[in-house]
Amino acid sequence: MDDFFKLDGITVQFGGLVAVHRFSLHLEEGERVGLIGPNGAGKTTVFNIVSGFLAPGSGKVYWKGNDITGRPVHEITRLGIARTFQNIRLFPDMTVLENVMVSFHHKLRSHFWQAMFGLPSYRREESLLKSEAMTYLEELGLSHLSAERAGSLPYGQQRRLEIARALAIRPGLLLLDEPVAGMNPSESLETAQLILDLQRKYPLTVFLIEHDMKFVMQLCERIKVLDYGHTIAEGTPAEIQQDPLVLKAYLGGACVC
Amino acid sequence: MDRDRLKIFLNGVTLVAVFLVLFAFSRYGTDYQVRILNNMAIFITLAVSYNLVNGYCGILHLGPNAFVAIGAYTSALLTMTPAEKQMNFIIQPIVWPLNVIEVPFVLSLLAAGLTATLFAFLISFPVFRVRGDYLAIVTLGFGEVVRVLCNALQNVTNGPLGLKGLSPCTNLWWTWGVAVLSMVVISRLIHSSYGRALKAIREDETAARAMGVDPFQHLLLAFLISAFFSGVAGGLLAHLITTISPTLFTFLLTFNLLIMIVVGGLGSTTGAVIGAMLFAWGGEALRIVEKPMDLGFVIIPGIPGMRMVIFSLLLMLVILFARRGIMGRSELNWEVILTRLDRLRRP
Ligand SMILES: Nc1ncnc2c1ncn2[C@@H]1O[C@H](COP(=O)(O)OP(=O)(O)O)[C@@H](O)[C@H]1O
Ligand SMILES: [Mg+2]
Repeated sequence: MDDFFKLDGITVQFGGLVAVHRFSLHLEEGERVGLIGPNGAGKTTVFNIVSGFLAPGSGKVYWKGNDITGRPVHEITRLGIARTFQNIRLFPDMTVLENVMVSFHHKLRSHFWQAMFGLPSYRREESLLKSEAMTYLEELGLSHLSAERAGSLPYGQQRRLEIARALAIRPGLLLLDEPVAGMNPSESLETAQLILDLQRKYPLTVFLIEHDMKFVMQLCERIKVLDYGHTIAEGTPAEIQQDPLVLKAYLGGACVC
Repeated sequence: MDRDRLKIFLNGVTLVAVFLVLFAFSRYGTDYQVRILNNMAIFITLAVSYNLVNGYCGILHLGPNAFVAIGAYTSALLTMTPAEKQMNFIIQPIVWPLNVIEVPFVLSLLAAGLTATLFAFLISFPVFRVRGDYLAIVTLGFGEVVRVLCNALQNVTNGPLGLKGLSPCTNLWWTWGVAVLSMVVISRLIHSSYGRALKAIREDETAARAMGVDPFQHLLLAFLISAFFSGVAGGLLAHLITTISPTLFTFLLTFNLLIMIVVGGLGSTTGAVIGAMLFAWGGEALRIVEKPMDLGFVIIPGIPGMRMVIFSLLLMLVILFARRGIMGRSELNWEVILTRLDRLRRP
């Protein structure tokens, strides 16, 4: 169990700024873990390390027992780690369905010349993938919008399309960067429910960043708190809610409700 | 299923129609008309393959003139007889083994495409290390390097003298055959999973990588296919005009291609075809402006190069007022037409 996913003493520096300092984390299969902290604490930077967009100054990333530190982004994705982005990054001028289908491309068995000449084997594969993409869209309540331009969807649906697209990677580990940012309370409640549903259907481990405390407290079994790149607390939601350091750093002393 | 059959049938009908038109022109057309049609087809091949990189991948590549030059020289050097080569290379004799090789036209075209592809492969490593303006500058540099080499390698390219007296092997069947082939191959690629990956890279490369797409591998694929067809088109061009020299393959050629794909609509194969046809036709129609004009009260002397001024103005107008060009990113194919018709019938 110990070797499902592990971050070991990750440190990242941008010039003189230490964005993340000796960050370590274990994830067990099927867990939901939250990462919280004030703006600029280094949360997204941790995600960028995991997904390969940044190489850490020191420290290691282990996935299923293998050291994957510094591997290219697309390879890490292919190993089964998918992510969403804090500032939505869809393929705006492609349809909703196409957005999801891009995630299947790396698994395509047909060669480009088979695709180019539209051979039957490629067509079969394509239509199978299309129906699989539709299942993911259905999961997220977007199937009726499959032919729409992704860029023309309203904000909340764009966030959900990002989740559908990441889900289509069939990941073992799903990284969600502020999945309910900009949503109203009822929408974020729905999203929390949705993530629980998805975990029931797919073998997913979820690691998420979120500012919405209610959302994190409801959803996550374990929470880590970052402040100025340092881990200042770690524990169950109940423990975090009472931690004096967290109250001070994160909420300026106000109560976590 | 029915719809697919219908589309295949309609595509077949279109091909037959094109065939008949070409047949009519090759039989009864004037030399002038045939020349315009040949130019059109070569421009179509070039524009469609250039658009694959610039339109679909969203890469500002400014060196297609290098591919065309390499293709033109390769195929010309391969079809010329040893005697012709000896006559052409008066300053320095041509190097071995080029002095003895002579192959049929079709093989020389294939070699033209492959040589251009090999060149594209070699430059792809520095080119795709960068993006945006830097990539534009790097490719512009390679385009210029090839032109300079054509000038300098006296014993390979005959330098500024160029190559003269190539056999006029290019005809309507060759030019349009290659044009149709390039259109079919490239639009099939675009509409496949590979095309989706390319568009994803264009839309947001960061997100594409996070979804498992390797940008280098895919940009390289597009770049190589584009280079192959540009090289073949270069070979066709050489055997159409029968005389080539380095001045044909300056940045101006790239600029012309850029006009075609921007006016047609970046990221639309149909747009590239329309752009190329308009350019070939416009280039001839606008010859008037370079001739002396008698307006009754004044006589304007002919100004050579006036056509390019007009084309450049046109490009500026399109960029200022209709940035998406004629087609935008949409295509005009039977699928689109049938869908429109369906909608008309069942409102
Ligand atoms: N690519 C980068 N270059 C320089 N500084 C960066 C970069 N990415 C993040 N930072 C800085 O690192 C700190 C942590 O950023 P980030 O991880 O995005 O915080 P957050 O916890 O809000 O997600 C911030 O001070 C930010 O300005
Ligand atoms: Mg962040």
